Amino acid sequence: MAAVLEVKDICKTYVLNKRQNNVLRNVNFNVDEGEMIAIMGPSGSGKSTLLYSISGMDSATSGQVMFDGQDITKMSNRELALLRLDGMGFIFQQMYMMKNLTILDNIVLPAMQSKKNKLAKKDKIKCGESLMRKLGIIDIADNDINEVSGGQLQRACICRSMINNPKVLFADEPTGALNRNSSNEVMDELVKLNKEGTTIIMVTHDAKVVARCSRVLYIVDGNIKGEYKSPSDEKISEKERDRRLNDWLMELGW
Amino acid sequence: MFFRMLKKDLQKKKTMNTVLLMFIVLASMFLASGINNVVTVMNGTDNYLDKAGIGDFVIITMGGKSEDAEGKAGTVEKILRNEKTVKDYRIENVVYGSEGNVENISGKKLKAKNTTIFQSLSGSKIKFFDKDNKRITDIRTGHVYVSGDFIADNKLNIGDRIRLVHESVELVLTIDGKAKDALLGSDYMGNTRFILSDGDYNALLSDDNIKSNYRGQICYVDTDNERDVASAISACTDIAFAKGRSVIKMCYVMDMVVAFVTLVLSVCLIIVSFVVLRFSINFTVLEEYREIGVMKAIGISNIKIRSMYVAKYLFMALIGSALGFILSIPFGNMLIKSVSDNMVLNNSYGYYINVAGAFIVVLITVLFSYLCTGKVKKSSPLDAIRSGQTGERYNKKKGYRISKSHTGTSLYLAVNDVLSSPKRFISIIVTFFLCTTLVLMVVNTTSTMKSDRLIKTFGSKSDLYITDVRKSMEYMSDYDRNGIENDLHKKESELAGAGMPSHMCTEIQFTYPVTFEGKNYNLSFQQGLGTKASDYEYIEGTAPQAEDEIAITTAISELIGAKIGDTLVVHLKDGDKKCIVTAYYDTMNQLGEVIRFHENADTDMEHCSSVLALQINFKDNPTEKDIEKRKEKVKQIFNNDRIMNAAEYCADTIGVVDTMESVQYLLLGITFVVVMLVTILMERTFIAGEISQIAILKAIGFTDGAVIKWHMYRFGIASMVAVILAGIMSIPMTKLCITPIFGMMGATHFKYKVDLVKVFIAYPGAIFTATLIFAFITALYTRKIKSSDTSNIE
Repeated sequence: MAAVLEVKDICKTYVLNKRQNNVLRNVNFNVDEGEMIAIMGPSGSGKSTLLYSISGMDSATSGQVMFDGQDITKMSNRELALLRLDGMGFIFQQMYMMKNLTILDNIVLPAMQSKKNKLAKKDKIKCGESLMRKLGIIDIADNDINEVSGGQLQRACICRSMINNPKVLFADEPTGALNRNSSNEVMDELVKLNKEGTTIIMVTHDAKVVARCSRVLYIVDGNIKGEYKSPSDEKISEKERDRRLNDWLMELGW
Repeated sequence: MFFRMLKKDLQKKKTMNTVLLMFIVLASMFLASGINNVVTVMNGTDNYLDKAGIGDFVIITMGGKSEDAEGKAGTVEKILRNEKTVKDYRIENVVYGSEGNVENISGKKLKAKNTTIFQSLSGSKIKFFDKDNKRITDIRTGHVYVSGDFIADNKLNIGDRIRLVHESVELVLTIDGKAKDALLGSDYMGNTRFILSDGDYNALLSDDNIKSNYRGQICYVDTDNERDVASAISACTDIAFAKGRSVIKMCYVMDMVVAFVTLVLSVCLIIVSFVVLRFSINFTVLEEYREIGVMKAIGISNIKIRSMYVAKYLFMALIGSALGFILSIPFGNMLIKSVSDNMVLNNSYGYYINVAGAFIVVLITVLFSYLCTGKVKKSSPLDAIRSGQTGERYNKKKGYRISKSHTGTSLYLAVNDVLSSPKRFISIIVTFFLCTTLVLMVVNTTSTMKSDRLIKTFGSKSDLYITDVRKSMEYMSDYDRNGIENDLHKKESELAGAGMPSHMCTEIQFTYPVTFEGKNYNLSFQQGLGTKASDYEYIEGTAPQAEDEIAITTAISELIGAKIGDTLVVHLKDGDKKCIVTAYYDTMNQLGEVIRFHENADTDMEHCSSVLALQINFKDNPTEKDIEKRKEKVKQIFNNDRIMNAAEYCADTIGVVDTMESVQYLLLGITFVVVMLVTILMERTFIAGEISQIAILKAIGFTDGAVIKWHMYRFGIASMVAVILAGIMSIPMTKLCITPIFGMMGATHFKYKVDLVKVFIAYPGAIFTATLIFAFITALYTRKIKSSDTSNIE
């Protein structure tokens, strides 16, 4: 498979109170199309910073990030914004939405803003509805964002992130603010999307969530300390997969 | 602990606290200066007239036929001395002239208004004031102070020299400054008074012709009964003016219009400051809802929470009000200066009023903060903590759906925001509406004054008007009615010879004693020469058809109590004449206190008080463009620069058009300042409350430009609504507020000139554009909010 994302020697340094804080130190990895990658690590290890740096939401201090063949570290803010609009999807731990819009209007907003999405306005709305139907939240389309549960809202955020058919979906602890049931529902949807071909890169603390990813990057102090690939043999049971992952994580001191 | 929390709050929430502080400063500045201006303006004219020593009744006599001569008591003085209702009187001697008497040092004639008056400072019985409102106490020989707009109109400076040429006397005088003249300084009275040293005044009197033909007197009378004084002097001839204090006050009506505009502006600014103050306090309290919830959750009582916030706002109010008080002094002076060029405007309370205004803002801020934090009581800790990320409780929004939108996303978001949370934008709309309406009301007033809409309140409408004070005085002293008529025919022939066949006419004003229901009055009359009484407009009844029929104004009706059908006895030169009132009409001459004679009424020039402009009616119906060309020709033929079309004549007669125009620009300037402050502060407030939404929009791919447009459009919509409403409402509002002022001057039935381009495009467009520019500049701040800030939002 072709690499959709190539991360080369990414460094990120913050200066706080005249003290340099090297959050990312020469991080290198590739992401192939159709992969579902989890980035794990202890608090403060640089997981979210890595996610924001490779998605162009934040700029790296040095290094190169090739997204679909383009070096995003050399892009202007405007180019990055348009890339995020058409080529990337984002899900956050907090379900941020525009508070004066209904759920459906929030979902279709990026489609309306996109110039690359050539669908007619009516079709964009249909597309939004179809995504909502797929994620089982069509009945809340006309609701305000305060009228639905956290799980429903996060699924709505997934719909919004998928509305422009992004190449890669970036998720920052997408289940972090959800209870177990809602968390499972959201992960089911993400796995389903991945199986349909969407590349997903997510930051998470949750081993249960990690277990459903094809590859895991473990980051400590701004460096990738280990990489784990889920066994491709489908005959291996889920329990066995969890055990192997847990063993690997314990080896790394999780 | 509370003070530590308060200190922390002030340090942490710098943006919101700064915005709020700015609003408090603005509110204090507007309120303090506003109240001061209101008090000053309300008592303005009375204070000024008292300070100058005008008294209760003023009589001006002019012409060489007066019995008065130096050392010999005149007729008027004799009457005043014997009249019981006169408590005291002061008489000053003056010399009359015309604008032809004054020229610059290189011999160019200078513009002066109406009949000019020359007198010595030591002989003056009223006080004159300089531009700093200090009494003028000394004028050296060879120097002069001049009243009215003489200096500005002729683009002269203090220190410039002018030449006064009157009969055989020639004086070169250095201008020491403008004199604020309580009697003649108003635009309505408008006679230019030259105040000289004794030496220069005596030099004028050294000419025998001046001594015998150009002398007059101004009498200032203290009385409790103006009517009796007027009645007592009604038999005197040579009286050019005999009016009570109320009429002199009324002469400042246009100055007071300007003053009241600043007063209304001050009231508007006060309303604006309260609206934005309430909004910003409410908004900042909402921002703190979450913290309030946490405090409630850990058991701090409602009263303590509220007192903490009230203490915070009290602290900010004290600092803001102090700053606002300091700024209110120059700001208030700037506003009042636009009116006080002709008047000495001040009040006896000084800056205590400003202090009171600033203190009111402190009280109101504390009251608002107490009321706004009242919601603390109603909500449970959980409500406050859980209701959304800002602590705001969501209600069902009344926005509009994206499926119905036909615009770009930025505009859609803006429209949706305005429809979903109209309360947030109401204060902006109200503020911009008030300011724009005020500007447009002045624009409508100025447009009307500059048009010919009021011409029929001055007389009949003609193509051109010739103002020639020297000629008028000549008519008054040396001509009878036939003589004037013949002179007009002569002028018609001159015009016809130049290819401009025309009919000329004029209006002559007289003063005659009148008796009605046993009471005597000395009233002004007017009679057309070359026109018929039926050529004029009447608001009720029918035009006088015979020489014993008259039309009166509503002001005369109110003054003497006469109605249509009543009979007045007019004491004409050749005997008493019973005249029946057949109609009411409107006129701005003599502030509306005039009676119109039939054209055949037997008047005489001995009772003439003035001859108005000579009017030219071209017989060959020239176009407006041709009239303008002919105007220039007529100027050459009669060697007179003061030839005007109807609109120019109206503007010249009303006299305050220039002042109104400068007030209009001052108001526009202040509106821009208000728009700028409100837009910047409100936008900054909005940004502070919407960081998460801006960050998420950027994260999902909105460019900086799209976010800036979203914010700009919201203000654009609010501003658009405000200026459109203001444009529409300005017309009835002008009628409502300005018509009574014109009514005081005698004009009640006229149509306003509404310059559609100015009212609906130029001024609203300028305010709308200014809003967009200021919103754009402030919205640039959103560029600092990054998409990655989603991870930093609490």
